[in-house]
Amino acid sequence: MKINKRLLFPIFAIVVLFAVSLIFYFIFSAPYGDGLEKTMEEGGAEEGEPIFEAPLSYGEDYPTAFVMGLLGFLVVVGVVLLVGRILGRKDETHND
Amino acid sequence: MHIPDGLMHPLISLVGWIIAIIVIALSVRILNKKLPYRALPLMAIIGGGIFVAQMINFPIGAGTTGHLVGATLAAILLGPLSGFVIIVTILIIQALLFGDGGITALGLNIFNMAFIGCFLGWSVYKAVPEKYKKYGILLASWLTVFVGSFACAAELAGSFAISGGAYGITGVIAFPSMLIYHSLIGIGEAVITFGVVSYISKVSPDLIHVPTVAIRPRKEAVLE
Repeated sequence: MKINKRLLFPIFAIVVLFAVSLIFYFIFSAPYGDGLEKTMEEGGAEEGEPIFEAPLSYGEDYPTAFVMGLLGFLVVVGVVLLVGRILGRKDETHND
Repeated sequence: MHIPDGLMHPLISLVGWIIAIIVIALSVRILNKKLPYRALPLMAIIGGGIFVAQMINFPIGAGTTGHLVGATLAAILLGPLSGFVIIVTILIIQALLFGDGGITALGLNIFNMAFIGCFLGWSVYKAVPEKYKKYGILLASWLTVFVGSFACAAELAGSFAISGGAYGITGVIAFPSMLIYHSLIGIGEAVITFGVVSYISKVSPDLIHVPTVAIRPRKEAVLE
């Protein structure tokens, strides 16, 4: 399975877009919760104790968030490729 | 819209897990040995792209933010089954590696975002006539966020009712709050999905037609 060279540009574009968007995220959105968190706040509900302590977090600053984003990107790419290899087939005789 | 641990009643979480396991099992069964290897790099990159896009919350006003779910985007680009597998993979990695979304609530998160996002989004997109497909993208992506938030509000209200207030949020607050916020977040989802699909259609239309396994009322799944 070879990676089509045409897919290298989307990878580059995703990383650049992520790097730029993250700046705006930290300027405009980082202090605020999402729709569910806001609803929880209005309803007086609180998060319970997590039953599993995740080894990583997205981070509270730009460099950490950027590195975590890249790490997550690579992990997702790797796992999707792995799952795809398990579910996939080499034979491509069907019509597209 | 990632539900954390301890927010929902355990019974509601269990129902979410059961539904998620059934849909995952059916999807894997249909996809098994039918997913062409050459589609995998694009699937993986789309998955990675959706992961980082989900990290970027955008403001919707009133001190609230939202982020792309990306399920409808994945379903439009790759088909609902492949899209579903991608979003489930992302949700599992987010929960296990980054603590984004609870383990007990993972089934509900899969139902609210991956299941509704991929299958409802794809169905709406497919139902829209070819000449109105652009509007179909916008409608499908907005609707999946709205319906997903409705499902989440129902889960919150159900948890509250079952537990007598120990879990969840009363429906009087959960429904209007979730629906109002997510009707706005859905606009962001629709704009981003429309932008990405339009861009790919323009610069690389062949990428959109990567063979994916389609759901058909036949014994054997076929490539679309």
